Amino acid sequence: MSNDTSTYERQLAQVTPEPLVTNNRSVQWITHHVASIVETPTPLWWWIAFLIATPIAGLGLFCIVYQISTGVGVWGENHPVGWAWDITNFVFWIGIGHAGTLISAILFLTRQAWRTSINRAAEAMTIFAVCCAGIFPAIHVGRVWFAWYLFPIPNADGIWQNYRSPLLWDVFAVSTYFTVSLLFWYIGMVPDLATLRDRAKSKISKYAYGVFALGWRGANRHWRHYEMAYLILAGISTPLVLSVHSVVSFDFATSVLPGWHATIFPPYFVAGAIFGGFAMVLTILIPARLLYPQLKDMITAQHIDKMAKIILLTGSIVGYAYAMEFFMAWYSGSPYEIWVFLRNRVADPFIFSKLFDVPPAPYWWAYWAMIFCNVAVPQVFWFKKMRYNLWVVFIAVNLVNAGMWYERFVIIVTSLHRDFLPSSWGMFSPTWAEIGLFIGTFGIFMSLFLLFMRFIPMIAMSEIKIVLPEADPHHHPAPTGAEGDAKEVRH
Amino acid sequence: MKHIFQHPPENPTGRKYWRSLGELADTPQFREKLEREFPAGAAELNLDGVSRRNFLKIMGASTALAGLGLAACRYPKSLVPFTKSSEWQIPGKALFFATSMPRRNGSHSLVITTTDGRPTKVEGNPRHPVSQGGSDTAAQASILDLYDPDRSRFFLAKGERSDEAAFNEFLDSHLETLGDGEGLAFLLEEHHSPTRERLRAEIAKRFPKALWAVHEPLGSATWRQAAEIAFGSEVLPVPAIEKADILLTLDCDILGTDQRATSNTRAFADRRRVEKPGDQMNRLYVVENRYTVTGGMADHRLRLPASHVGEFALALAEELGVSTGVTRNSAATFPDGWIRELAADLKAHAGKSLVLVGSRQPVAVQVVVAAINQALGALGQTIVGAPASLYPAPALTLADLAARSGELKTLVILGGNPAYAAPADLQWEEKQKAIPTVIRLGLWEDETSQAAQWHVPAAHYLETWGDGVAADGTYLAQQPMILPLYDGWSEFDLLARFAGQPKPTGAELVQETFRNRLSPLDFDTAWNQFLHDGFLGNGFDPVTISFTGSIPTDGFLTPVAEGDFEIVLPADAKMDDGRFNNNGWMQECPDPITKTTWDNVAWVSPRTAEKLGLRQEITASEHPLIEISVNGHTVKVPLFIVPGHADHSISLSLGWGRRTVGRVGRGTGVDAYTLATAASPYVAVGAKVAGTREMFKVGHTQEHFSMEGRDLVREADLPHYEEKPDFVKSMGGDSHMPDGGYQSLYSHPKLEAPNQWGMAIDLNTCIGCTACVIACQAENNIPIVGKEQVLMGRSMHWIRNDRYFVSDGNEHQDLHQYPDDPEMVMQPMMCQHCENAPCETVCPVNATVHSDDGLNVMAYNRCIGTRYCANNCPFKVRRFNFFDYNERPITPVEVPLLGEVNGLKLGPLTKKGMAPTLKMQKNPNVTVRMRGVMEKCTFCVQRIQSARIAQKVQAGASDDVKIPVDSFTSACAQACSAGSIVFGDITDPESRVSKLKEQQKNYRLLEYLNVRTRVSYLARLRNPNPKMPDAKRNAATA
Repeated sequence: MSNDTSTYERQLAQVTPEPLVTNNRSVQWITHHVASIVETPTPLWWWIAFLIATPIAGLGLFCIVYQISTGVGVWGENHPVGWAWDITNFVFWIGIGHAGTLISAILFLTRQAWRTSINRAAEAMTIFAVCCAGIFPAIHVGRVWFAWYLFPIPNADGIWQNYRSPLLWDVFAVSTYFTVSLLFWYIGMVPDLATLRDRAKSKISKYAYGVFALGWRGANRHWRHYEMAYLILAGISTPLVLSVHSVVSFDFATSVLPGWHATIFPPYFVAGAIFGGFAMVLTILIPARLLYPQLKDMITAQHIDKMAKIILLTGSIVGYAYAMEFFMAWYSGSPYEIWVFLRNRVADPFIFSKLFDVPPAPYWWAYWAMIFCNVAVPQVFWFKKMRYNLWVVFIAVNLVNAGMWYERFVIIVTSLHRDFLPSSWGMFSPTWAEIGLFIGTFGIFMSLFLLFMRFIPMIAMSEIKIVLPEADPHHHPAPTGAEGDAKEVRH
Repeated sequence: MKHIFQHPPENPTGRKYWRSLGELADTPQFREKLEREFPAGAAELNLDGVSRRNFLKIMGASTALAGLGLAACRYPKSLVPFTKSSEWQIPGKALFFATSMPRRNGSHSLVITTTDGRPTKVEGNPRHPVSQGGSDTAAQASILDLYDPDRSRFFLAKGERSDEAAFNEFLDSHLETLGDGEGLAFLLEEHHSPTRERLRAEIAKRFPKALWAVHEPLGSATWRQAAEIAFGSEVLPVPAIEKADILLTLDCDILGTDQRATSNTRAFADRRRVEKPGDQMNRLYVVENRYTVTGGMADHRLRLPASHVGEFALALAEELGVSTGVTRNSAATFPDGWIRELAADLKAHAGKSLVLVGSRQPVAVQVVVAAINQALGALGQTIVGAPASLYPAPALTLADLAARSGELKTLVILGGNPAYAAPADLQWEEKQKAIPTVIRLGLWEDETSQAAQWHVPAAHYLETWGDGVAADGTYLAQQPMILPLYDGWSEFDLLARFAGQPKPTGAELVQETFRNRLSPLDFDTAWNQFLHDGFLGNGFDPVTISFTGSIPTDGFLTPVAEGDFEIVLPADAKMDDGRFNNNGWMQECPDPITKTTWDNVAWVSPRTAEKLGLRQEITASEHPLIEISVNGHTVKVPLFIVPGHADHSISLSLGWGRRTVGRVGRGTGVDAYTLATAASPYVAVGAKVAGTREMFKVGHTQEHFSMEGRDLVREADLPHYEEKPDFVKSMGGDSHMPDGGYQSLYSHPKLEAPNQWGMAIDLNTCIGCTACVIACQAENNIPIVGKEQVLMGRSMHWIRNDRYFVSDGNEHQDLHQYPDDPEMVMQPMMCQHCENAPCETVCPVNATVHSDDGLNVMAYNRCIGTRYCANNCPFKVRRFNFFDYNERPITPVEVPLLGEVNGLKLGPLTKKGMAPTLKMQKNPNVTVRMRGVMEKCTFCVQRIQSARIAQKVQAGASDDVKIPVDSFTSACAQACSAGSIVFGDITDPESRVSKLKEQQKNYRLLEYLNVRTRVSYLARLRNPNPKMPDAKRNAATA
C-alpha cells in the first residue's frame, strides 16, 4: 500500500503546478529583497560593468556625430546596396523590443501568471531596445536635420507626407509602439515606486521616487484605477505588438525587389521578433539571476523553461517561413526570385552549389549562419534537460540573437546586392563607423539597463505578490514542511 | 555710356531697300541715332496700348525664339559690368555661339551654350555636315579643361614665376638674335588651321632656315606616309562608310579612337537603322586584338594579335588575287575558311565594300590594304580622294627633331607635351633640356614646361580666335566664348610675334585669312555669317584617287609567336594621348569596354591570365600587378581580364601615369609611352611579362559581365528578324504577359499634359562610346567622386552604359570562368521614367513624384535621403550623394597621426567650397546637389521647362501650349553622334520617338513588374554572313 501511496503522490506532484515563487517566499521578503537591489550601496561589479558600457556607448555617440557631420558615406553603403547595417540593426533592435510588450500585454490578457516576475525587466529591455532601434532610421537618412519632414507638421512648402510609403507607416508604428510601451511600463511601475518612496531614507530619493509615484497611497480607488488603466493599456498594446513588426516587414514586402517582395513577411517577422525578443530577455536575466541570487526564487528555472519553449515554437515558425520563402521563389517561376534565393543566399560552396551546379553565393555564409542559429540551435529545446541547463540556454539564446541579426542582414543585403540588372551588381562591406555604431548601441543598451537595475525595482513587486499562494483567498499555509518566512505572512 | 550696338551693314547686292531717307543717306547723325540703345527721350516714351507686362512677354518670346543661331560673339574687348550688358544678353538666358574645336583629324564644328558670359556646354553644330549635332567624349569634356583650376596661370622663366612684360622683353631681344632662323625650330600639334599656315609662311620668310615639326603621338603621320606611297602626295584617302555594304576593319577602331570617329559613327549608324523587315543594313567584319567599340558592333569578329594583322592583310590580298610580292610569315595562322569567305563576300560586293586599317599599323600594312581596296574597286566609291593641300602638315616629326637637337638653339613648342608623350628611346626630355632656349606654350605646367626656359600659359580653344578645316574640308570658325581666364596666349599670339607682328588684340589674323580666302564684297556680312554658321562651304570636291604605289617588302611586324607576348599601346578612349589626364570627367568616365576609371590596366585574354597563373577578384576590385618589360623599360600595371582579347597580346593604353600633372591626374595609371619606340610606337613585340604577388585596387563601375540569361538586351539575326519581326515580344518575361497587359492595384493620376515625354534607344546603332555620359555630366552638374568612392560603388553618373558579353557557354565569373571569344553588347541605362514608378510609392516625404507630362521628378529640397527609392528601383539608376562631393575635397588630405585621408571622410574638418572656375561651368538651370540627397536622370527637365516657357509665352491667351515636335532634345540624345538615343513627345505621332516606338522590335525592360517605363529599347540586329565559319546563331528562338 505504501507503494501505492507514493505512486499517487508522485502523480499528484506531476499535476500540481510548481510554485511561481519558490521557497515559499513571503510578501515582505519579496519587497525587502527586490527593493534592496536599489537600496543597498552600489556593488563593485556594477561600477565595472558601467565603466565598460558607457565608453562603448560613447563610441556609438561619436560614430553618430561623425556620420551626421560628414555624411552617410562614412558607412559602407553604395549603389546598389542602399541599406545595410543601418536598417539591419534597426530591425534587429526593434525585434528585440518585442518580447517586453508581448509579455506585459498579451500574456497579461491571457492570464499567464508567470509573466509577473519577468515583465518589468522585459519591458525595460523593450524601451531601451526601441531607443537603440530608433537611432538607426533617424540617422540613416542623408539629411537628418530635415527628418521632421516625416511628421505631418504643416509647412510652408505645403507638401504633405506620402501615405503610400511603408517607411512613413514605420514612423508612426514605431513611435506609437514606443509611446505605448513607455506608458505601460511606467503605469505598471507606479505602486513599486511608491514602495521605494516609502522605504527611502535619503531626502533626495524620497523626493524623486515621490514625484514619479504620482501620490500613490495604495488606496482601493487607486488600485481600481490602476488595474483599469493597466488593462486598457494591455488592450491597446496587444495589436501594436503584432502591428509594429508587420509594418516593419512592409518596408520590404511592399517593394518590388526579389527577396523582399513576399506576402509571408508580416507573420514571419512577428514570429521572428518574438523569437529574438525572448532570446534577449534570457540573455539579460540569466546573468542578472547570478548577480542577485535572491532573484532565483522569483525568476525560476520554470520561467526559463517556458521562455525556451516559446523560443522553440517561434524558431520553428521562422524556420518554416524560410522554407516557404524558398518554395515560393521556386513556385513563382520568376528567374529573378529564384536567383535571389538560390544564387544570392542558399548556394554554399560545399553542397548546394554542387547540387544545383551554380557558383557559390557571395553571402552564403550569412545565410547559413542564420539557418544554423535560428533553425538548428533552438531544436535543443526539445529536451527538458537542455532547457534546465543554464549554460546551454545561455549559449543557445546568444546564438539566436546573432542569428536574428543575420536574418535581417540576409534579407536586406543579399537581396539588394544582386537584383535585376547584372550591370549594377555590387558587394557591400561595412566600415569602422557602422561597426562602431552597432557596438555602441550595445553600450547604450547596457548603460541604460544598468541604470535601470540601480534605480528601479527589476521585478514588479506589486504584481508578483498577486501570484503568491497567499494572494489566493482560499490559501491556507501548509501546516508542516513550510520553510522560511511563510510563518510571518501578513495580509 | 550706353553700349553701342554694332549693326551689321546690310547686304549690298541686289536692290537696296531703305526704311527712311536718313538711312539711305547714311549720315553720321543717322548712324548715331540708330546705334543709341534708347532713343532720346525714351524714358518719357508712352507705349500706347502696350502694357508693361505685354511688352515683357513679347520680349521674352522673341529672345527664347532667337535660340540657336545668333551671329558672333559680341563681347567687348575688355570686361564690362553687367549693368552695361552686351547685346542679346539677358541675365539667366542662354546664348548659343558656333565655334570649333581644333582636332587632329579635322576640327570639330561646335555650338557652345553660354550663360551670362560663361560657356557651360558644348554641342555639335547641327548644321555642320560632319557632326550633324553629334559630338564625342572629348568635345564634351573639353569644357572642363577650360575651367580647370590647375591650369597654368603664370609665365614661368626657368620654372620661376614671371610675367607677361618680362616675357615680351625677353622675346623682343631674343628675336633680334635669331638671324635667318638657323637653330630655330617650331614644334606644332597636328591640326589644320589656314591662319596658322599663313603665319608659318610669314615666319618662314623672316626665318627661312627655321625648322617646322609636328608631334602628335596618335596623329596621322604613319597614315599620311602610307597614303603618299599608295596614292601619291596630292591626295588623301577618306572612307565613305555610308556607301559601304561590306566593311572590314583591320585593327581599326573607326567608331572609337581611330581617325574621324564622329563622322564615321554617324555614317555607320545610318547604315544600321533597320525600321522594318526588308530594310538593308551593312555588314561589319572586325579583326582586332582587343575589344573596341567597333568590335562590339561587328557581325563577325576575329581576335588576332596586332602584330598578326599585317599577315592577315597579306593573306587576304592573296585570297583576293592581289600580288604583294611579300613572303608571308607562317607564325600567323587564321581560322579555316574565315579569310576565304570574307574575301568572297568582299568581292561579291566589289565597289560597295571597304577595307580599313588602323592608322597606327605599320606603313607597309596600310599600303597592302590600299592595294586591296584598289582590287575591290573601292577607290572612288567607298574611298574618296581629298586634296592633300587641304590638310597641310610639316614634314618633320619629333624623331627628326630629336636627331638634330644638337643644332637647335631655340625651340618653340606650341601645345602638346613631348617631354611626356614621346617614345622612350628618343630621350626627348634630356634633349630638350640641352637646347639653350625652349619656349613652351601650354595649358598646364607639365613635364614639357619643366624642361623649358620659358613657359607661356596658353589660352583654351574656347578663349581664342582661330579657324580650322573640318574632316569634310569645310572651313570652320573658332571664336572666343570668354576672355582668357588666366591671360593665356593663343598659338597665333606667339606665332604673330615671331612673324614680326604685334600680339593680336582680336580676330584680325583670322579675319585676314578669311578675307584672303573669300575676298567678299561685303566683308562684315560675310564674316558675321561665317561666325553665325560656324562654317563655310560644302566641303571638298573629291579628287581622283588611284593606287599608284608599290607595296614595300619590309616594315611588317614580326608576328608574335606562341608563348611570347606583344604589347599593344592603343589610344585611350578617355585620356587620348594624355591631354585629358587632369580632366575629372574623363578620369571618372568608365572605359567603354572595361568600365575602369582613374587608372589604365593591362588588358589580357582569359587564357593569357591563366597562363600567367593570375586571377582577378573583380567583386573585390583586386587585380594582380604584372611586370611588363620591353625595350629596356619595365612597368608594373594591374592585370584586367577582358573576354574577347587576343591571346599572347597585352593592351596597355597611353595617356596615363603623368609625372607632372594637376591634382586630378596625380597618381593615376602608369605611363605606357616608356614601352614605345620611335620605330614602333604602337606594338612592342618580345615583351617579358611576369606576375607579382601584389594586388592593386582598380575602380570600375561594372563588375559583372554576363546578362545571366535575362532579357535585357534583346537581339536577333537579320534573317530571324525578317521571319519574325516581333521577336522581342516572345523573349523572357514578355512571353508570359497576360492578354490585355498587367493591371495596377493603385489608381494613378492621369497623365494629361499636352506633351508626354519618352525616349527610345536603338541598340542596333549604339556603339557605347560614352559621349552621352559626359554630356549628361556637363549638362546636369554631376560631380566626380574620386577613385576611392568609385571603388565603393558610388559613382554619380545619371546615365551609364551597361556592357555585357554574350557567349554560348555557361561561364561563371564568380568561379573565374571567362568566355574566350564572346560578343559584346551595350545598353545605355538611365532613369526609365516608369509611369508606375516603384520609387515614387516608397518615398515617405513625397520627394519623388510624377509630373503630368510623364516625368519621374525629384524635389531635391524635399529629399531627406532615406535611399528607399534607390533600393526599390529595379534599374538601379538612382544616385545618392553619400558625401558633399561638390564642396569637399575628393583628394587625400594630410592628417596628423592618421597620414593621408580622403578629404570626403574628414567632412567638416576640411575647407568647404568649390574652385571658383568650376562654379562657372555649372549649368545655372540645374541645382547643384548637396550631400544626403538622391538624384537621377530628369530627362533634362530644365530643357523641357525652357521650351515650355517659351511656348507658353508665345501661346499667350491661346491654348496652343503644346511644344512643337522635336524642337529640342535631352543632352544625351543631343550628344549621340550615332543618333541612337531619341527623346521626344510620345503622344505626337509625328515625333521621331513615336515612330521608333512603333517599330516591332521596340521593347521595354522588366515589363513583368508593370512599371510601364517611358524609355524603351529597339532590339539589336546582327547581319552575319551565313557562309562564315563562325556564323552561329543569334538567340531569339524563344
